[in-house]
Amino acid sequence: MQIRTSAFRTLFGKEVHALLGSPVGYSIAAVFLLVLGYTFSLTLFNTKVANLQYIFHQMYVLSILLLPALTMRAFAEERRNETLELLLTSPVAEISIVMAKFLATYLLVLGIYCGAIFYALVLWLYGEPDVGPMMTGYLALACLAATLVSVGILISCYTENQVMAAAFSVGIFLMLWFIDSVTVVLPGWLQGFALNFSLIGHFKPIATGSVFASDIGYFVSITLLSLWLATRRLQERE
Amino acid sequence: MALHEFSLTIQPGEVFGLLGPNGSGKTTFLRTLCGYLAPSNGVIRVHGHDVVRESMAARQQIGYAPESAPLYRHMRVGEFLRFAARLRGVAEERVDAAVDRVARMVAIADRLNTPIPALSRGYRQRVGIAQALVHEPRVVVLDEPTNGLDPRQIIETRELIRGLAQHQTVLLSSHILSEVHKVADRVAVLLNGHLKGVRSMAETPDLESWFLSLA
Repeated sequence: MQIRTSAFRTLFGKEVHALLGSPVGYSIAAVFLLVLGYTFSLTLFNTKVANLQYIFHQMYVLSILLLPALTMRAFAEERRNETLELLLTSPVAEISIVMAKFLATYLLVLGIYCGAIFYALVLWLYGEPDVGPMMTGYLALACLAATLVSVGILISCYTENQVMAAAFSVGIFLMLWFIDSVTVVLPGWLQGFALNFSLIGHFKPIATGSVFASDIGYFVSITLLSLWLATRRLQERE
Repeated sequence: MALHEFSLTIQPGEVFGLLGPNGSGKTTFLRTLCGYLAPSNGVIRVHGHDVVRESMAARQQIGYAPESAPLYRHMRVGEFLRFAARLRGVAEERVDAAVDRVARMVAIADRLNTPIPALSRGYRQRVGIAQALVHEPRVVVLDEPTNGLDPRQIIETRELIRGLAQHQTVLLSSHILSEVHKVADRVAVLLNGHLKGVRSMAETPDLESWFLSLA
């Protein structure tokens, strides 16, 4: 499959324009930062500890709940407006279409996360926070965002209904979050398998300063697998 | 609508009409030809390129205007046409000229700065046709191109199609017999996914009788 970089640039530009031209992205950024600011202030005044752990966990929860609102439109909207016909009958590799949507949404999410750097700056100004866990916390969030965005885009490939895409995305994210709680009812051979799928189980170590290749590999693997499946879905032409 | 196997060759420079009632398989055939749907069986070639095995090369030859114009609501008309041109591989230095050319062809030159949601149905249809022509494809595929147009626009679209045929092959679908009769060199009738017959317009003065005899 031939991939034209100019076509990718064109598609990426279109996605960025669509995301920044819609009020959805701004609304999500506003809600995200507002809730974080509220939580950050409460935590800081209550604990008097220069620590961003609570904030990272809060961002983890907010990402699971809010990012589907960004990814739901990816392909569902293209199907509903019948513009997917325009893309798939043009001489463009399907992976370019998927990657343009992924990168544009991912960069927007990272942009929203950048707003939270303000809280780290506040801690720096008034306390002596441990820089290592703070850096790895942001790394954990970057990994989490890549995974959530790619899975959300994959789910959006299967429907033209944006609400359904968002609902299924939240459902899958929550199941991945709580999968480690289910292990008690699973047979022994399945317990390890289920534990390895736990989103929080791989997020927490990185967010608290322990970076293992297995945790990074988990996020990278799911991201790549989702993007590959989304590309395959488009190639199926159904 | 499933299509049943048939053989059909469309000659270069021909205006080929695909006639059939709603739900007869016309759109399915056009979508398969353009690579939007995959055939479960058989082979479709566009200028020698298999639409499945050499999909990119085949798609490069085609300009497709679906029945419902595929437009992005966050764009202006000119911006959308530039997007379509770049997507189809028009060289960057030729994009503006290509957009001006198609805008003149479909009479939307005065609407290039108009936001797409502000366009009337007729103008949307024209922009949909313009995006299919912007990269000067060898094969132009138009699905119900006069749908939603007023009488004057229908006449202009007919003239446009005849003009295209001087350099390009045109395949159009319609469920309106008189439309096909006025522009096509040859016509095929599709009914319930079956190809019922193919004839040249020259040997079919009474298209309506022939169509009814097949139906």
